[in-house]
Amino acid sequence: MNGTRGALSEMNGRVDNAFSAAIDRIHVAHGVGRMALLLVVTFGFFAVLRPEIFLNSVNLQNIGIAAPEIGVLALALMLAMLTGGIDLSVVSIANGAAITVSSIYTHFATTQGADAAASMTPLVLLAGLAVGALLGAVNGVLISMVGITPILATLGTMQVFNGLALVWTGGVTISGAPAALRSLGSTAVAGVPVLALVLLVAAALVAVLVNRTPIGRKVQLQGANPVASTYSGISKRATLMTTYVTSGLLAGVAGLMFLARNPSASADYGSSYVLLVIVIVVLGGTNPNGGSATVLGVLLAAVTLQVVSSGFTALRLSAYEYAIAQGVILVGVMVLDQVKFRRRRGRRAMSGTAAPEPATSAPTH
Amino acid sequence: MTVTATPVLEVRDIVKTYGGVHALDGVSLSLAPGEVHCLAGENGSGKSTLIKIISGVERADSGAITIDGTTHGHLTPNEAIRSGVQVIYQDFSLFPNLSAAENIAMLSELAERRVLSSRSRIRAAAQRVVDDLGLSLDLDAEVERLSVADRQLIAICRALVNDAKVLIMDEPTTALTYSEVQRLFVIVRRLQQRGVAIVFVSHKLDEVLAISQRLTVLRNGRVVESGDASGYTRRAVSKAMTGRDVSETRLVNDVAPDAPQLLEVEHLSRAGGFDDVSFALRAGEILGITGLLGSGRSEIAEAVFGINPADSGRILVQGKPRRIASIHDAVDAGIGYVPEDRLTQGLFLDIPIAENMVAASLDAYRTRFGLLDRRRIRRSIADLFGRLRIQAPNSSAVVRSLSGGNAQRVVLAKWLDRKPAILLLNGPTVGVDVGSKEEIVTILREQAAAGMGIVVISDDIPELVSCCHRILIIHDGHVVAELAGDDIDADEIQRRMAA
Repeated sequence: MNGTRGALSEMNGRVDNAFSAAIDRIHVAHGVGRMALLLVVTFGFFAVLRPEIFLNSVNLQNIGIAAPEIGVLALALMLAMLTGGIDLSVVSIANGAAITVSSIYTHFATTQGADAAASMTPLVLLAGLAVGALLGAVNGVLISMVGITPILATLGTMQVFNGLALVWTGGVTISGAPAALRSLGSTAVAGVPVLALVLLVAAALVAVLVNRTPIGRKVQLQGANPVASTYSGISKRATLMTTYVTSGLLAGVAGLMFLARNPSASADYGSSYVLLVIVIVVLGGTNPNGGSATVLGVLLAAVTLQVVSSGFTALRLSAYEYAIAQGVILVGVMVLDQVKFRRRRGRRAMSGTAAPEPATSAPTH
Repeated sequence: MTVTATPVLEVRDIVKTYGGVHALDGVSLSLAPGEVHCLAGENGSGKSTLIKIISGVERADSGAITIDGTTHGHLTPNEAIRSGVQVIYQDFSLFPNLSAAENIAMLSELAERRVLSSRSRIRAAAQRVVDDLGLSLDLDAEVERLSVADRQLIAICRALVNDAKVLIMDEPTTALTYSEVQRLFVIVRRLQQRGVAIVFVSHKLDEVLAISQRLTVLRNGRVVESGDASGYTRRAVSKAMTGRDVSETRLVNDVAPDAPQLLEVEHLSRAGGFDDVSFALRAGEILGITGLLGSGRSEIAEAVFGINPADSGRILVQGKPRRIASIHDAVDAGIGYVPEDRLTQGLFLDIPIAENMVAASLDAYRTRFGLLDRRRIRRSIADLFGRLRIQAPNSSAVVRSLSGGNAQRVVLAKWLDRKPAILLLNGPTVGVDVGSKEEIVTILREQAAAGMGIVVISDDIPELVSCCHRILIIHDGHVVAELAGDDIDADEIQRRMAA
């Protein structure tokens, strides 16, 4: 009796797993499929319009070098958005990390010579990442302990971090970056820029963190329903703190990537990135209210927008027109989302899978 | 008052299905002006659905609704209100930050589409209704400062400003004390004299039978009894509601004499909630805590689970004093809590069932490398799915798609997977259909038999009688009685609750 039941439940479990795997695939396909399509369409569009410029290997190489830093920033923001929050300070944190690395390195190089400075490179880079994590922790404290709304907290810290960087640098661009970092920025392995590999590794780590670790799942649950997650004994403080520190750390990585591309740092580098990164994260299928996100979708969205950007350059359109395009793409995709959502809801209402008795508004006994 | 008058409301052969389930299966009902009609039925019997259809919130699949001589094929909420149908839900749907007068008259003022609203006109309109009913209400007080009974009166006044001909009241007496109920009934009689037809939706049979002229009992979407209220006893109605004699179902396992104390609550107090509450719970025991809404029964559970921690007193878990200042502390100490509001507090609606089930126990699945052991998770989920007999296509379905009973089982699964020593359940079968209700109680008995300590907070007395070893009765924040064994009796509990 017990044996058959065990076998049955095992079979049940197996059938169930096949089911859930299939559903997972479809679920992923929602954000990812859409972005893959959009990527192919935009790429094709510019390739047809201006093949001689757009398909030029220099241009393609440029996409591969410029997209990664934005991609890493997008991952940082995606984590915050997964909890239902946002991190507007990612670009400021990245600049903070870049400025830290550049200043420390130049300081060593001028006081102790280039060789000594070169041998200090790993430490200097770690200092940059530490600044990223530290600034992320500031956000984390404000949001998880003081209880400030993420959008206001990070709007404030964005200004503060930015201001500190301005004061520190005196508002000018400082130059100098470890040689090892610079060479990474211009190296490619089998035609793939190292920076792109860095993005892929970061993405893989974030995907594992979010989907395969207890804390990652808690972050998702926190975003899906903060009240229910508190009532399940999940510490809001720990999940939010982890989220914003990780987000800061990723922003620090992006800061190092800034330096690898271009051995100079300034407080106002990438000032147009904040909105761009929000667009990418939302396009990539992240629910702005929290609870769900796909790393692959965000990656594809980052590449897509870089394709649009360089396509616009190929067409000799201005940065302003690119900004308009960003907005149009974002609004367009959101409108499509709403249309799909309504249709699905309409179907559900008709077939009526809802519970016959509502439990919240008017419980009857 | 003659009942021969043409009915003010008549519904005929209403059918409503949700995904193949008949919520209503050919229900008819008619109301004469000035009649008080009791609509009784268990959870899931279709009472709420019927009210929603009469008020135009939901559309019937077939059937007709005639209000005041006009037949509506498909009634909209606006038409229902204009024809004089008003519903007072359990939460009254008032604006807590507005004054009583504004709550009473604001909506009708808005409906007149004037460019500017006038404070004095609103005040006057509200005063007129209050005087009409001979009430004494502080019209300038903010509603959130008023008692539950006063809020109810405000909701009634608001309905009257809107010229209610049919007033439907959902569970109007749940939150009221005995004397407040009497006051409500005086007003109900005044409304009757003005020709307003009143529908009482309730399961508090004693009270309702006292004031109703007619009675309709729904079970599984059908009318099983309908007639003159005077012809029914409480027992007959309750049998009609459940289809069986409820008192026979008491089934309690013996607690081993040497079972250890799992929870000891000593002199627990919280200002405005409860005062000097002490009780203990042994392994294998099911303890019931009951009282009227607002008596403090929920607040006690919320303090033990750290939602609103107590101001003073001690909580010992498995013999050790524990400081419980947050939910996290309580869960750490080995306490689980199935909340009354399961949709917002218990579940992640847009997330698969499987992920809901492990939401409270993720850390237990950590492998050596800090990753989640997905095979073990899958095994637990398959096991819980079968053990709790959850009806869903598969464990990847989102919880939103489940019925009340199945959703509640997912909340239970979440805690069973965590394996707490003590499980508190607040209103575990609210909004759950009759079949699931029994199964949930059975699951609780099984868990208790396996050594868990269980506390059920509920005002569903038959349910408490059916499964509790002991029952604490809370009144005004104090434990006023503790019944055990053969002393547990539904009538006795009801009497002590209202005292």
